[in-house]
Amino acid sequence: MIRVAKGDEDAFEILVNRHQTSVLNLIYRFIGDRTQAKDLAQEVFLRVWQTAKCYEPKAKFTTWIYRIATNLCLNELKSARRRRWFPFPRSNENEGYTFEETLSDGSPNAEEVLLTKERSRQISDALQSLPPNQRMALVLKRYDDLSYQEIAQILGCSVSAVESLLVRAKRTLQERLKDL
Amino acid sequence: MMRCRNVQEKLSAYQDKELKPREQEEVSSHLLVCQSCHKQYEKLEGVWQTIGELREIHPDPWFYPQLIKRIKEPREGRSIPRPRWASRLLPAPAIAWILLVIGLLAGTYLGNILARSDFFPFQTSRSSEETTLTSLHVFDPVPPGTLAHGYLQMVNYMESDSK
Repeated sequence: MIRVAKGDEDAFEILVNRHQTSVLNLIYRFIGDRTQAKDLAQEVFLRVWQTAKCYEPKAKFTTWIYRIATNLCLNELKSARRRRWFPFPRSNENEGYTFEETLSDGSPNAEEVLLTKERSRQISDALQSLPPNQRMALVLKRYDDLSYQEIAQILGCSVSAVESLLVRAKRTLQERLKDL
Repeated sequence: MMRCRNVQEKLSAYQDKELKPREQEEVSSHLLVCQSCHKQYEKLEGVWQTIGELREIHPDPWFYPQLIKRIKEPREGRSIPRPRWASRLLPAPAIAWILLVIGLLAGTYLGNILARSDFFPFQTSRSSEETTLTSLHVFDPVPPGTLAHGYLQMVNYMESDSK
């Protein structure tokens, strides 16, 4: 990060390669739209490059970059709410997985592929139905296995608030996914 | 020994291994003996497993080249910036609302002026009585100005002339 702050592009490339998958997936699981997730992930690294000089290694780098990603996601959600008056079509490949990915699983028959796709869509919908803070706390816990302390730093709230967010999120998901 | 209600409140934190070691052990031993709480925990685990089924997506190979392009051409594709004073004084939605209200007021005002009969100076004025009578002809079986109306007038004239 010190090299990135000095404008070293090689160091920046290493940093991007190291963190792009986790940042992309964090955003994708939060937003639920693949194309938008890719755009926002680029925006995250753009901010990292622009603010590298201000970075102080107080917390883990992952916490810092996830905080940037979280803020961008929450802002995007707010603008999306405003844009709801003038809706634009979303990309077609946004839900679940592409067929190539589903098939890479080794599932041989088309019915199974469709069932897996439908199941993924239902899980994704259930996640998207959670309020933003609960959703982000859940994504950070479930997929990145961060501690309550780290999640609290990223969301800018207390550890007990994180605990409460997760209890509520799990309760809602339990209800919404009971048929799966 | 913990009570069921206590345990169920702590199940989520227990699952996330966020309880203090002693509490973690207490919940563990309670789950071994209490079927109801154990069932609750299994449900929680089930949901955790289900949402874990969502797999990763992978970044495109051109993710970094695109990013570098954006960094080197920072102004490309950005919206036209508003003057700083305007964005400070009025956020975008407020401006939109103000313009809408001004538009509605102006529309109402202009509409009222145009609707007034004396607004157009060259317009021939008609008395309200005349206007009403003319409009009544619309419901006549033979409206004035048509061929049939002319024929009937001619026949009436000839009849009165022969008398």
